[in-house]
Amino acid sequence: MNAIETKDLHIYYGRNHVIKGVNLEIPEKTVFAIMGPSGCGKSTLLRSFNRLLELNENARIEGDVRLFGRSVFEMDPIEVRREVGMVFQHPNPFPHMSIFDNVALGLKLNRLVKSKDELKKTVKWALEKSALWDEVKDKLNEPASALSGGQMQRLCIARAIALKPKVLLMDEPTANLDPVSARKIEELIFELKKDLTIVIVTHSPAQAARVSDYVAFLYLGRLIEVGKTEEIFENPKEELTEKYLTGRMG
Amino acid sequence: MLVRKVKERLFLAGITILTFLTILPLFHIIFSVAVEGLPVILRGGWDFIIGTLAPPDDGLGGIGPAIVGTFVLTFLASLLGLPIAILTGIYAAEYPNSMLGKATRTLLMIMMEFPTILVGLFVMQILVVPMGSYSALAGALALAIVMMPYVAVYTEEALRGVPEKYREGAFALGLTRFNVVFRVLIGLARKGILTGVLIGIAKVAGETAPLLFTAGGATRTYFNGIDRPVGAIPLLIYDLVQQPYENYHEIAWGASLLLLIIFLAIFLPLRLSLKEVKL
Ligand SMILES: Nc1ncnc2c1ncn2[C@@H]1O[C@H](COP(=O)(O)OP(=O)(O)OP(=O)(O)O)[C@@H](O)[C@H]1O
Ligand SMILES: [Mg+2]
Repeated sequence: MNAIETKDLHIYYGRNHVIKGVNLEIPEKTVFAIMGPSGCGKSTLLRSFNRLLELNENARIEGDVRLFGRSVFEMDPIEVRREVGMVFQHPNPFPHMSIFDNVALGLKLNRLVKSKDELKKTVKWALEKSALWDEVKDKLNEPASALSGGQMQRLCIARAIALKPKVLLMDEPTANLDPVSARKIEELIFELKKDLTIVIVTHSPAQAARVSDYVAFLYLGRLIEVGKTEEIFENPKEELTEKYLTGRMG
Repeated sequence: MLVRKVKERLFLAGITILTFLTILPLFHIIFSVAVEGLPVILRGGWDFIIGTLAPPDDGLGGIGPAIVGTFVLTFLASLLGLPIAILTGIYAAEYPNSMLGKATRTLLMIMMEFPTILVGLFVMQILVVPMGSYSALAGALALAIVMMPYVAVYTEEALRGVPEKYREGAFALGLTRFNVVFRVLIGLARKGILTGVLIGIAKVAGETAPLLFTAGGATRTYFNGIDRPVGAIPLLIYDLVQQPYENYHEIAWGASLLLLIIFLAIFLPLRLSLKEVKL
């Protein structure tokens, strides 16, 4: 079963045609990397998967995005976003809330827990899953703004997975982190893919090679090549892909 | 080389003097109000705060009804004005490109600059005339109308100042727009919104014009119902200085100092404590 499928997807910002007829199939419980040079439309593509793009009034989408076979455009956007979590390039925990509340907020407001006890358990579970529990278990009530960048990003992962989504979108989750923190996030990705499908955007081919099972190469809004990660890295079929992987392109 | 240095010096001296001239009136006001008002308050003592107005040419008495009135009017005005103003600000921030959103923002800007005496006239027409009497309610409504644009504009700006990444983060959690705004963004913008609220309150606590034809004024009876006339410190000062009695002028100075203290008590802590939340 494919977690996400796009059918002849076109995306425009006003008159700027940014995604040009992308057909993708993202198999369930894999790590799927989308790579490509800056400005090629990776973030735009990713944001269409959870209908976050619709926050932008200029954005227009044609074609279809399917979540486990169902068109996301026939679903309530809120339901889509509960099933498709997202982690952003800039860690964005809510700085005025405590660490605990950051994770608890989505659970409470989406009424996913029935009791205080269940809330506490789920928050703990999510923080453990995101390898943050040991570092924060004694300061759950401190503001999230007191964490380091890497910790903030793991808190964002905890916040997303607390809702038990089926898919997790990650838009360059390590781009603003130091190497050690980045490493931790990559390790986390291995752990998480047992339970869910991860789509990660990166402009580092090396990172795509380390973490992903499948990789898609996007260039100027077109899908140039997609396939198993080893195959693409060992034997790219398109010249553009090879150029990109060998660093001969921006 | 030398010419440039001299020019620079002259320029610096020039703006220093101009700056000084600009703020001079402020200090002069504070200084003269303190010098004239303090002895009055000290002489009047407690009675000055809680008593009622003395007869012409006979001692100080007190300005209790006006003080209470100012607090009542400000409180009622906040009750009437703040919820609507904050919601208006939220609307303008959330729908900046809609027709109504754009219109709201323009209207707020006009309202901010609107002559407040006209607000008083308007409320007199719709409330005082039909009710047949000046009232605390009418005064509070006029103040609420004066207060609203400040609060709404500050709310809007505070919300628009919240970085996009937090909005997106909140929506990505599957929150409804209502929850995104009320459970996340408001919290992030709370300092800015609170600033607006306090500026609005400080502004109307010192207003005279909107009260002239609405609150009516009362110097010897305390607040006794929202449908009854009520006093206010600025209104009292306005009345007293027009009268020919020496003691009324003294009382006006004392009242001015109290008004200044109330104003500074709202304003100074606000200015001093407002370090924005780091985003
Ligand atoms: N909110 C927006 N409004 C208008 N145009 C946009 C918007 N966001 C992105 N674009 C344009 O769409 C194109 C693709 O942008 P996008 O952010 O998806 O690229 P990206 O591959 O994620 O780049 P990067 O690696 O720098 O993050 C760019 O040309 C960009 O200028
Ligand atoms: Mg991007």
